[in-house]
Amino acid sequence: MKARSFSILLSALLLWTVGCKEPIIDEGVLPFIVPTSVDADGGTWRTIILKSATDITVPQPVASTSDTYKHEFSDVKNGVLAATPEQNTAVNYWAAGGVIRWNQIARQLVAKYNIAPGYDYLTGQTTSADAGNPYAGPPFAARVYALLSVAQYDALVVAWRAKYQYNRPSLEQQGIVARVPILNVPSYPSEDAAIAEASCQMLAYFFPNEASWLKAKATEHKQSRLWAGGNVPSDLKAGEDLGATLVTKVIDRAKNDRFTAATDPTNSWQTALSKAPYDQKWKSIELPERAPILPLAGKVKTWYDSTAIVGASPATPPATTSAEFQKALSEVRDLANSRTRDQWRIASYWDNGPSTYSLSGLWNFLVEDLIRQEGQNELRTARTYALLNRAMQDATIASWRTMYTYFVPRPSQIDPTIKTATPIPNAPGYVADRAAVSTAAVAVLACLFPDEATRLNAQATEAALSGLYSGTHFRFDADAGTKLGTVIGQLAVTGAKADGAK
Amino acid sequence: MQSRTASPAFLVTTHEENVNKYQMLALNLYFCTTYHKFMRLVAYIVSIGFLLGLAQKTRAQGSIDGFMRGQRKASLAIFGAQETYDTYYINTTETKNPNLGTVTTQTLTVVGTYGLGYDLDLIVSAPYVRTQASAGYFPKQEGFQDVSGTLRWEAYDYKFGKTKLSWEFAVGYSMPMQNYVNDALVAIGRGSQNLDGRTLLHFKAPNFFITGQYGYIRRGQVKLDHIVNTYDPSQLNPNSGLKVNVPDVTELIVRAGIVTKVFNIDAWFQRQTPHSDGTNIGPGIPFPTNAVGFTRVGATAYLRLLKQFGLTAGYNTTLDGRNIGKSTQLNAGVVIGHWTANN
Repeated sequence: MKARSFSILLSALLLWTVGCKEPIIDEGVLPFIVPTSVDADGGTWRTIILKSATDITVPQPVASTSDTYKHEFSDVKNGVLAATPEQNTAVNYWAAGGVIRWNQIARQLVAKYNIAPGYDYLTGQTTSADAGNPYAGPPFAARVYALLSVAQYDALVVAWRAKYQYNRPSLEQQGIVARVPILNVPSYPSEDAAIAEASCQMLAYFFPNEASWLKAKATEHKQSRLWAGGNVPSDLKAGEDLGATLVTKVIDRAKNDRFTAATDPTNSWQTALSKAPYDQKWKSIELPERAPILPLAGKVKTWYDSTAIVGASPATPPATTSAEFQKALSEVRDLANSRTRDQWRIASYWDNGPSTYSLSGLWNFLVEDLIRQEGQNELRTARTYALLNRAMQDATIASWRTMYTYFVPRPSQIDPTIKTATPIPNAPGYVADRAAVSTAAVAVLACLFPDEATRLNAQATEAALSGLYSGTHFRFDADAGTKLGTVIGQLAVTGAKADGAK
Repeated sequence: MQSRTASPAFLVTTHEENVNKYQMLALNLYFCTTYHKFMRLVAYIVSIGFLLGLAQKTRAQGSIDGFMRGQRKASLAIFGAQETYDTYYINTTETKNPNLGTVTTQTLTVVGTYGLGYDLDLIVSAPYVRTQASAGYFPKQEGFQDVSGTLRWEAYDYKFGKTKLSWEFAVGYSMPMQNYVNDALVAIGRGSQNLDGRTLLHFKAPNFFITGQYGYIRRGQVKLDHIVNTYDPSQLNPNSGLKVNVPDVTELIVRAGIVTKVFNIDAWFQRQTPHSDGTNIGPGIPFPTNAVGFTRVGATAYLRLLKQFGLTAGYNTTLDGRNIGKSTQLNAGVVIGHWTANN
């Protein structure tokens, strides 16, 4: 009897283990952001690409007393009640915030394309990137996030100006109970349509092969506002038009920022290498050796004062023959030989290698929580991202510029016994871009979220040192990166304080 | 910085895998090594029991079979193993990585077995693992891997003359003994907690045995050191976090051998198949999420020197695999203790 019940128990256990499904790890239900302000003066904020919000004219809407509008209005009102489950899913998805969702989409695409061309061990071939399949490494990624955020921000400033210029009342004020919280601002033009159109076209510029997928996402985003009861079709149309007009101007800037030359098709980096003012030159320590990627990304146009940024360029690091250098080298060696579990964790956390959002994407991800916590509306969210991402792109550019000026070797090139917690990037080590980018990012974020400043600064310090812990950077790489990032962060903070937003 | 090597590899051979091999080999004693899975252990154990049992002859009439330890009887085995590979599988395609070279994993495993009842054994094992690559800059990893505990129960047995058929069940649980790195090119394990359930059919003639077993290993989620960006193979999953699923696997093991009073020798076949969806080795893909499978064959020998002291040695190799190293392993160990079959 005992045996029988035991066997039943065992069999049940066996069936149970076999039967259960692997749990799905998902994002859970995101809380809807409850905006803490409407920023009614948003239309006067300083734009980035546009000279001002008046550069784009949004046509006057039909009167809310007209038959056309009444017809649109009643369609939406009836549609809200008739929404299908799929439509509701889309409504909830986009209600998490259009700017945040498009930022997520950008990060996913960066991760997807963030695979360095190079030797493929499986096929024995060297792969190459082309326009349809761009390599989304750190300089490319930082540029995607910056241009996307700038397009979103300028589009929203224009939208805000028109909203308060025409003052078409929100649907909620006219008696529609929306399915999700809707920001209480005039409904014309739709901020969601403006974000959707600008983001979709901007990302399609970077990732042309994803254009149709992006378009489908944008269509869903726009439609979701009808299903939610937030906008009527003419609100969407006006938002879409202004987004489309705006994005062409941003793409013009992208075409002229010198990024396309960054791949260095003529291999001019080799000349720079031979002229580099450092006593021992960087070389690829991969097997087989590979050329660095995007060696001219340091020449890309910056967002903030380029004279000030170039002026902040770090000095030559200590020569390999100096006692100072030997001290730095032995510090890396000692750390590598006695790396603690926590140092390993830090190295891994801030690594952001291939197939990730890259470091600037990680900061974009981390700032989402701050935005939710603060209850920022779409306009303010776009501003946060635009300030953050411009600072990070400039820090990336400045780091690249330094790397390919000095060509300072990585610790393992000098001492091959130094083992690293993360793969060694195939690029010179000085300065540590993770230090420069994180320091600049945190300067901006500490200004926008002063309550979080202490925690953010601790994160930036950890990020800066992560390369030392992983064995891929010397301490002087991190220190110089931090200094560089501080200068760029200051430029961004000064810009933030003068853009009209309080 | 940018260009990181598209590095491939990882090949952590986990202990479970080793274990399997081991297990087999060692006669079960072996259970070996590490293993994550409990059941596996169980299975192993069972096997071990088996071998030992076989090795030692079955107890006179009265005992249910030679494989079980026997009530209040205990044994202790210590195995050392060395496994190497220079080729690994990305999904099922073989590849090599000049930035990795040859990966060598050395393991020392202690396995204790105790008969809680005449038909119920408890088996506990703990491995210490060291693994390193001969090329590139991946640091050596070492430490205690996963401790496991298994209950093996002989539910039924049927005798036909001098032969016997028995049916056994086992459940096991394993968990990491320390917070080792679970997502690196060279790592000592995946870091998951595992639940292992399996059933065994065991046939024994006076000098021959064959055992078949089938099990399911449920692997829990693990936390990585970094946020995952590309977990979803379609790359369209917006979710990011530190937690990932480790795919479950099913396992089939068949083992057959010859048993005499002083020695036994057997050969085994093991196939592990991912049960749930997993990823393939690739840049940015967390190693623990990879779907791992393999087919291995091996042989084990056991020699009894004294009544309660014996030596064991084994060899095994990988025939095919999926997201794992194409490894070959040699191992050896000592077995101390009271074996019912010795009586």
